[in-house]
Amino acid sequence: MNDLGTPGEMTSPGDEALLADIGRFMDELDPPPGDLVQRVQFALALENLDVEVARWERMDATAGVRGSDTGTITFTVSDLTVMINLTKIGKKHRIDGWLVPAGEYGVEVRVAEHGTSSTTADEGGRFVLDNVPQGTTQIVIHLGDVTCRRTVVTPTVVL
Amino acid sequence: MTDVQTTEVDPPWEGLTGADLHAACMRAARAGDRQAMDRLVHELTPLVWHVARANGLDRLTAEDVVQTVWLALFSQLDKLRDPKALAAWLITTTRREAQHPFGRRAQPVPLTDELAESMESTHPAPEEEAVRADRDRRVWRAFLRLPHRCQQLLRLTVLAGRAEYQLVAEALRMPRGSVGPTRGRCLESMRDLLAHEGGSR
Repeated sequence: MNDLGTPGEMTSPGDEALLADIGRFMDELDPPPGDLVQRVQFALALENLDVEVARWERMDATAGVRGSDTGTITFTVSDLTVMINLTKIGKKHRIDGWLVPAGEYGVEVRVAEHGTSSTTADEGGRFVLDNVPQGTTQIVIHLGDVTCRRTVVTPTVVL
Repeated sequence: MTDVQTTEVDPPWEGLTGADLHAACMRAARAGDRQAMDRLVHELTPLVWHVARANGLDRLTAEDVVQTVWLALFSQLDKLRDPKALAAWLITTTRREAQHPFGRRAQPVPLTDELAESMESTHPAPEEEAVRADRDRRVWRAFLRLPHRCQQLLRLTVLAGRAEYQLVAEALRMPRGSVGPTRGRCLESMRDLLAHEGGSR
């Protein structure tokens, strides 16, 4: 490693020294979150992996949804928008959802170590799931008919 | 997730490392082996993470992008025939995903401040430590002021230098231990930034 020098006038570090520093910072200051691998593995533990992945559309301060009592999250994929409104009731959540365009699609909410709750959206695209446990959560939507089945999934979020 | 197997047989990638490990896991994953998928995720999530971060995503958005990239890979694994192309595919897809407008929209905390803060708090310091922490802080700040392109290249250069990421070196067509002209220029800019940062703390 190179000389620390005195604060304020550092000797110019060489390529190797800088790369060594960057490597150390990557490990110490910016490592992937400890549970990320498990969350990815949970997100992938689906029966059928022929899926489309919806993106979390962060409009404004939606990052604050994580850990707060209520909030709206919007996911989108090509032609489908999924809006989720969360209400925390004790240690559970109530999820009010809305699919656009509307359709009577199957909706599953998977929570790690708690199994899956399922429902079907009404003809207006609305659905409600009560008593959803907190934890690493993924939403799975089954669209289409027998001729063309599609499955849309979200990345997991910790709710 | 459990590792319980129904048979006593070791998975075919047992004992393999680097590119061989990835190739064996991809073959098994294509045949539907979930353990093989989990292993790939375990091995290569740090790579995807650092590419996402190097493209300017905050940590929360980077977490989503990492998942999106893996879901995308396994939903179309058949299309990626050559295991040697895996690293390049992961890097390209992560970069594209990071540049997607949805991923970009909100960056509530400017990257530089976010990391400078985490740095302050991770170094409660006795004296020698304090000098070192001060130097580290300046080096890291200089790094974060580089263009994303440079940050990504340098992070990948670091990873490519590690034995387990040999495939990154291959994807970048970068011989082990070589820095190359573009990386050299990025490091040079970093030294310039560092020199200007010098007296200011």
